[in-house]
Amino acid sequence: MRCRILLAVFAVVASAQFARADSPSVTAALSNSETMVGQTVDLQIKVTGPGDAQPPEEISINGLEIHATGQSRQFEMRNFATSSSVTYTYTVLPLRAGRFTIPPQTVHAGGRVLRTPELVLNVADSPSQPTTTRPSRGAQSQAAAARDLVFAELIVPKKTAYVGEIVPVQIRMGFDPRLRPSLIEPPEITGQGFTSQKLQQSGQTSETVNGRPYEVVTYKSAIAAARAGKFEIGPVKAKAQVIVPRRRPPPRTRSRSPFDLFDLDDPFSDPFFSNPFAQIGERRDVEIRSEQVQLDVKPLPPNAPPSFSGAIGNFAMATDAKPKSVQAGDPITVTTSITGRGNFDRVNAPVVEDERGWHKYPPSSKFKQDDEVGISGTKTFETVLSPNEKKQALPVLAFSYFDPAKEQYVTLRSEPIAITVQGGAAASQNVAASQPTPAATGRPAPAAVAASKPQDILYQLTDRGRTTESFAPIYVRPVFWVAQSIPLLGLLSFLIWKIRRTKINNREARRIAALQHEAAELMHKLRRKGATPQEYYAEASRVVQVKAALASGSREVQPNMVDAETAADTFKLDDSSRDQLRRLFEQSDEWQYSGAHNGPGRISPENRREVLELIENLR
Amino acid sequence: MNSLAVIPSEAKRSRGCNSADGVRTLALVFCLAFGIVSSAIAQADAEFAKANQQFAQGDFKDAIAGYEGLVRTGQASANTFYDLGNAYFRAGDFGRAILNYQRALALEQHHPEATANLQLARDEARALEIQPGRAERYLHFASVNQYGITATVAFWIAVFCLTALIFARRRSAMLIFVSVCCLLALAISVFAIYTLDRGTKGQALAIVTGKDVQARLATADTAKSVLALPPGSEIKILSTRGDWTYAALPNDLRGWIPAKDAERVRL
Repeated sequence: MRCRILLAVFAVVASAQFARADSPSVTAALSNSETMVGQTVDLQIKVTGPGDAQPPEEISINGLEIHATGQSRQFEMRNFATSSSVTYTYTVLPLRAGRFTIPPQTVHAGGRVLRTPELVLNVADSPSQPTTTRPSRGAQSQAAAARDLVFAELIVPKKTAYVGEIVPVQIRMGFDPRLRPSLIEPPEITGQGFTSQKLQQSGQTSETVNGRPYEVVTYKSAIAAARAGKFEIGPVKAKAQVIVPRRRPPPRTRSRSPFDLFDLDDPFSDPFFSNPFAQIGERRDVEIRSEQVQLDVKPLPPNAPPSFSGAIGNFAMATDAKPKSVQAGDPITVTTSITGRGNFDRVNAPVVEDERGWHKYPPSSKFKQDDEVGISGTKTFETVLSPNEKKQALPVLAFSYFDPAKEQYVTLRSEPIAITVQGGAAASQNVAASQPTPAATGRPAPAAVAASKPQDILYQLTDRGRTTESFAPIYVRPVFWVAQSIPLLGLLSFLIWKIRRTKINNREARRIAALQHEAAELMHKLRRKGATPQEYYAEASRVVQVKAALASGSREVQPNMVDAETAADTFKLDDSSRDQLRRLFEQSDEWQYSGAHNGPGRISPENRREVLELIENLR
Repeated sequence: MNSLAVIPSEAKRSRGCNSADGVRTLALVFCLAFGIVSSAIAQADAEFAKANQQFAQGDFKDAIAGYEGLVRTGQASANTFYDLGNAYFRAGDFGRAILNYQRALALEQHHPEATANLQLARDEARALEIQPGRAERYLHFASVNQYGITATVAFWIAVFCLTALIFARRRSAMLIFVSVCCLLALAISVFAIYTLDRGTKGQALAIVTGKDVQARLATADTAKSVLALPPGSEIKILSTRGDWTYAALPNDLRGWIPAKDAERVRL
């Protein structure tokens, strides 16, 4: 029962909703009720309900040009109720100043006749006629028509600034994409009394401005006023070349272009754009100008701090030093980074507040910008300081700038950096010590001048000294290489002598080896039993000669020259051995030279043993 | 027969005459050369004395011209460069004063007067110096020429010792020790020569002689400045392109400076 009741309620509510949705309604609104001559506003007529609404095709009001530019449809569902609405958009272009009333317009929707509310538009007179202002229809040329399809805009975010303050500016240049433009002269900010930085292109976007599509190129720059007063910044001027269709002779027979919103003889209504080969387009130069912008420039307040060098903006400072332990006179590189936003071209190195006891050398700087125009970034200074005396900390560095936001001067000071300075006199506190004294460096100095450094240069030398001295190192002078021939010759002589000595030693060694071999052979023969006495004694005496020659050493005695006495002397034999040796040589001679021996035809074993013992004992 | 006997004696006499003539010619040439050299030395001494006199009279411009003349004719010495540096100092050209003191020290490393005046001129000009590396600082107690002589002596001793070792029947410990020591001395000397010759005080050392010299990032007067170089500042020339010189600067920086604004210390 309860379900049935709920179902019935739902059906009643739903039918009521549908019934409400079926009754059409209309509203109208202007995008802005205040405008200027030449500046368009949008008129929107919204019809809620059935989709067969018929909006007014033309709205004719004297002093206004109103043209339909499009429509959009929306569907909405709320609490199970659906609704649809159609919004018809019209562009309103005021042609003259004044108060205009847009009367109620008749809209046919859902078989009913609806009327829009009455709207009021206040149009002010334009201070200057911008290029986007439409010239009279009858006189405009094709080039003028093309000029209507471009615009330039100078955007200055500040209306007041200080002398020297960097003010960022933006330039927007819009082109109808069908113009296929190419810049002949890049945009330039004209005007006097200020300096501008180089323009940097920062992007390109597609935008719809007043119902028209544009390719908008954005440039960024910065300006700085050189003096106080009121300035007119701009206009921005540029020249571009665009393609427009060649003008056709009247009568006009072509259809109206959807781009020709205001029936202004839009050049893109030309069939050239639907068929480029049907007609040749032509290039035309158009000048693009923006409106001027006023800038009120105030002078800097008086009583600037001593370290102020003209920097205006907002900055922070960081300081470091290297090395932190030095000898007196040695350089310390102090690195100071100024980070922030402002006129970095006027940011100078921080000043040393108390230079007593220090030598300061000219600083170097480098700037790293963080944006396209260089008004924000980090400027790094490297200053070389050299202590003349013992110091415990670096001097304080000060940097001053004017903060336009606070409208006052700000002085930044570095934190004291502890250092160690060795050598040199201790830092004195009196004023006399503040006079710059020559630095005592680690360089070698003569004993006469090291103790107390002269205030003036030393005397002239009247002795000219050794002349014709050369800066060339000794090893590239010819005399050096000529001199090398002396040890080289010595080395060659030494080598020759050593080689000769080696050869001689080798010959002696070969001779000794041959004698040793011969002695061994003979000993082997003597030990055989079949030898005749003639052979035996001859070989025995030869062994003695060879052994004596070997024993003679460096005297190089020839074996054939050795007799019994020489051999005995060589081996330093006693008398009995000497007799034995003498007998051996006599018997050998007898057997050798007598032809026949009177003794036995064989040698007795005793004699053989005796001879062998004698020979073996010869050492 | 007589005529035949005469011919050899004539020839002998003729040969003797020729030999005597040669000796005489040689002696003449020697005397002539000696005379020319002596005259040149005497003339150089006279010019040097004259320049000194002009300096004493405060005529620094003429004194500079006199000393420069000696340098041009190859009659320069460490003392000449020192005196020339003094003349430039008095004339207020600290850059060239420092340059000539450096030249005096390049010829004679331990020139006490040049060392003292160089220090004074640097202080006056606030000239920047290139800090030598640690190795260069330690090796700087001797000059390149002294290292050169040491290297040469060590080389020859080592060569003789090694040769003796090759031919010796037994390896002598003393020879080996001497060889190793000499080779070590040779290596150290060669390293020292290389380090000093290519170091901050080596062949590439130059002195800024121009005024208001800015080292720049590129070879253009409008290029960004790297470092302001007071006269007398040291630079180490790395390369030259047209009218610009690329150089290592004090504070471990590098940049381009006009070639006319710096002169090499070693001529």
